[in-house]
Amino acid sequence: MNDKKLIRVSGLKKHYKDGAIKALNGVDMEVSKGEVIVIIGPSGCGKSTFLRSLNLLEVPTEGQIYLSDVDITDRKVNINIHRQKVGMVFQHFNLFPNMTILKNMTLAPVQLKKATKEAAEKKALEMLRVVGLEDRAEAYPNQLSGGQKQRVAIVRALCMEPEVMLFDEPTSALDPEMVGEVLDVMKKLAAEGMTMLVVTHEMGFAREVADRVIFMDEGVIMEQGTPEEIFNNPQNERTKAFLNKVL
Amino acid sequence: MPEWIVKLQKDFVTAFIEDNRWKYLVEGIQNTIILTFFALILGVVLGVIIAAVRTTYDKQYEEIKNPVGKIFLAIGNWICKVYLTVIRGTPAMVQILIIFFVIMASSDNKMLCGIIAFGINSGAYVAEIIRGGIMSIDGGQTEAGRSLGLNYVQTMWFIVLPQTFKNILPALANEFIVLLKETAIAGYVGVTDLTRGANIIRGITYQSLFPLLAIAAIYLVMVMFFTWLVELLERRLRKSER
Repeated sequence: MNDKKLIRVSGLKKHYKDGAIKALNGVDMEVSKGEVIVIIGPSGCGKSTFLRSLNLLEVPTEGQIYLSDVDITDRKVNINIHRQKVGMVFQHFNLFPNMTILKNMTLAPVQLKKATKEAAEKKALEMLRVVGLEDRAEAYPNQLSGGQKQRVAIVRALCMEPEVMLFDEPTSALDPEMVGEVLDVMKKLAAEGMTMLVVTHEMGFAREVADRVIFMDEGVIMEQGTPEEIFNNPQNERTKAFLNKVL
Repeated sequence: MPEWIVKLQKDFVTAFIEDNRWKYLVEGIQNTIILTFFALILGVVLGVIIAAVRTTYDKQYEEIKNPVGKIFLAIGNWICKVYLTVIRGTPAMVQILIIFFVIMASSDNKMLCGIIAFGINSGAYVAEIIRGGIMSIDGGQTEAGRSLGLNYVQTMWFIVLPQTFKNILPALANEFIVLLKETAIAGYVGVTDLTRGANIIRGITYQSLFPLLAIAAIYLVMVMFFTWLVELLERRLRKSER
């Protein structure tokens, strides 16, 4: 891990209904290259909104987000270019049901001229092999289990060779016995040095893999630190209350 | 042979065989098919454009950065809404009379007038079918496409619209069937469609039974054939749901 900041967020706010609902109420943070950050917090605390802001799926009301020193909240910035560098994995997989697994993975790289069709397919097959699904390349998403779908969703995002990966509750929609296979892929990815921000309720994963754990509540970062600091010695009362409930 | 059978035979000959009157029906079939086909194309083109403007306005208005573009989109959306309201709020028959006798009164090409009238009418219904189909696709699909870096148009074209098309096919087929049958009113303004063909025979022979039964059967067969085609297409599109 070096000191280059990949993401810098300052004063990020997201308000709905003219400020009646404050999903994010002033978030400041920085992410270094190669860092694995796990964001925890009660539901409705703004952690998903925060994650989705980082590729502007939610447009912030106020504040700046710098991605490699470019302010993506600037209206003049072409967000499509920056989204190519930010992979996203969703709770409900969001695979494209009208395409085969292979087509799911190669659509964006080919359309965005990142690779030829042949090169993209070769790479997609390699990635499928890494997650143990090379024999399902020609299957359709509906023929896969939840865990398989999420593994495909992860490698689909990786096909764009992103600089950072965002995971929005990647295991919350899975049957319990499938959670492990998805977490294993994420652990492997973290070990390879991918910069990751993960919103999850899997505290074991946070403890084991995270470089930093962030506890959010009421739209702000309440507390952050190493997994040991947060889980073994939380300072904030809210953090203590939350961890008491989930651990 | 009973007398009524002999009479029916004679009526049949009068209706279709004498003076080659069946040719009125053949011409009618041709014109009905041409009218429906081109009206359908016009309707789908109009429908796609209107649905595109309306959904883009609903989904993208906030994201558009160019103020001039915003104004154009808002005006376009307003025009589309007026069009939908007027076309869906007035009888097709009245619209056709207006097109024939007011807007295109100077045109001699009745077929062209008919195509335009039915196309404009059908476009309003097709537009709402397509818009409904687009709205029924889970927002996560768009988000996944956009998060990969695809732009709005690419996301719509490769991800949302193919799924939309599969979902709306039954409703679209329905609209096509309605259109095919509705062209029967084109005879009122002088287009020699199938129904008009039967009416011409009736006018000449004073016979109603055979001409009317014949065209009813012909419409039915056309609709059944088309329904069969759509079923084939649906089965093909459904292969990703195995």
